[in-house]
Amino acid sequence: MEQIHKITLLSDLTPPSLERTWLSAPHPTLPLLATCSADKTVRVYSLTNFRLLSTISGGHKRSVRSAAWKPNTKENVLATGSFDATVGIWRNDEQEDEDEGDGQDRDPEEGWAFSVLLDGHDSEVKSVSWSSSGSLLATCSRDKSIWIWEDLEDGDNNFETVAVMQEHGGDVKCVSWHPVEECLASGSYDDTIRLWREDVDDWGQVACLRGHAGTVWCVDWEGEGGGSTTTTTIPAGGNSSQISAWKEKHARSARLVSCSDDRTVRIWRRQPKDHHQQYRPSDVPSIIRPTGLEEHWDEEAVLPTAHDLSIYTVAWSKASGRIASVGADGRIVVYEEQFTTSSDDPLQTTWTVIDSLPGAHGIYEINHVAWAKRADRGKQADEEVLITTADDGSVKVWLV
Amino acid sequence: MQNSNPTILSAADLPTRLRTPVTTSSVSGTGLLSSSLSTLVNTDDVFSFGKYNPDSDIESLDELTEEPIDEQEVFEHPISLGALAVVSLPDILIEPSLPSIPDSPLRTVTVLITPTISHCSLATVIGLGVRVRLEQSLPSRFRVDVRIKEGTHSTADEVNKQLADKERVAAALENGTLMGVIGKMLETCK
Repeated sequence: MEQIHKITLLSDLTPPSLERTWLSAPHPTLPLLATCSADKTVRVYSLTNFRLLSTISGGHKRSVRSAAWKPNTKENVLATGSFDATVGIWRNDEQEDEDEGDGQDRDPEEGWAFSVLLDGHDSEVKSVSWSSSGSLLATCSRDKSIWIWEDLEDGDNNFETVAVMQEHGGDVKCVSWHPVEECLASGSYDDTIRLWREDVDDWGQVACLRGHAGTVWCVDWEGEGGGSTTTTTIPAGGNSSQISAWKEKHARSARLVSCSDDRTVRIWRRQPKDHHQQYRPSDVPSIIRPTGLEEHWDEEAVLPTAHDLSIYTVAWSKASGRIASVGADGRIVVYEEQFTTSSDDPLQTTWTVIDSLPGAHGIYEINHVAWAKRADRGKQADEEVLITTADDGSVKVWLV
Repeated sequence: MQNSNPTILSAADLPTRLRTPVTTSSVSGTGLLSSSLSTLVNTDDVFSFGKYNPDSDIESLDELTEEPIDEQEVFEHPISLGALAVVSLPDILIEPSLPSIPDSPLRTVTVLITPTISHCSLATVIGLGVRVRLEQSLPSRFRVDVRIKEGTHSTADEVNKQLADKERVAAALENGTLMGVIGKMLETCK
């Protein structure tokens, strides 16, 4: 009984790291991918020809756990978080070679220069995330804290510590900024997800989401329905009135997805503030404060059980609205949202597993999954690929 | 509470990889694996890391420095962990990791640890030692699950959560001081 899978291998990235690779970060606009390895380096690959462009080494003394590209900048700037408790900022002022060159005679470290080391965490840095504007960098650690740094962009590589939040009761495993708003989500070893905003001049917790029965390994936001992506993030199977009502509901809300050691994937929804306008710091004079920044979040759905072991990463496609999850059982699972026809509530949706691919990296655990724009020769308009990263160092690119 | 495994085993009776492996009729390879498992905590030196002052990667290690083990305590137990039956053969299980996929080669090795006393502050380090040794000696298709045997330790859930956390264990492997302690703990493991 050979099952036909919707998830099919497009290519491996070569050459790979030979040690555990934790995460792959696609560049926000260019066909580049940065991977973080236990061999203390970051590799930058081309998503056009799937080959190694650069190896960034010499900055971290232990495993590189996390990396993120700074958005909204003409330079290539990468932030890295390491088990050595530091955060590195790297710049490459030269344009990466995106063409299908042979890439063989390049100096592997060409172009990348280490620019600053952010020191502050007491123990391993687990995750780094840039806000959508690119001015704020959030980092988190086993020391239970989240730091927010502001890139002063003064040409002198100066970063200022904006906030240190210590409410989590355990390692903070991940941080993720809302795709538009300056709202940060974090997941922790204390089994909670917390949301953070700036209240005039102080950053503080605005919500604590409980529901998972184990470490929350990863959180990701749903894409904002603005612009050209509006039509594609609508659940499948809706009629026009459902679709317009859905859009209206979404304009006043936000959703998060989370995955956990408890083997579940959960969706959370921020309830609209009916009586108060959505809080925007610039809207309110500082004297008249809104009646509290507390946000009300509900658990909206638990996705169908599809993993046998810990789920390490969940990724919400900003283009298609699909969700992908990976974990210790070596599976890649892709979920899709559809309108429920049988319900009284026309906006009721259900999530279904559209494919579950076991052994995607052979016997190895899969640490990370990300969606990226397809960039190789075979691409069709707006097509997406999935990128998975495993314990043996392999990084694979998939079509769904 | 005392160790629920009441017997003190003679060191000579403990399984060792130096001997011809005992073959058993269960899952393939079980005999060989089990015999190495029981001995890997068999060391006279296990309490020596009371002297150790770590920059700790596993939280409860921090407590070691605050609560040094007094000599009395050390001499109370001049017996190896193997002899104290901290790990015993019936507490080692090998099962398919993905029961829903019959041909999956993945196997989960579960090792239950029975601390000698229910407030044993070394449970995490011992467990980490067992996990590290198994990860280093077993092929990658094995998923290692080291836990405290139910009802034998006051903070078992906390210890189990730390031992199951892949990221913490990976970071601990990169901590030279901690690995030195574990290496010492395992050095007499034959």
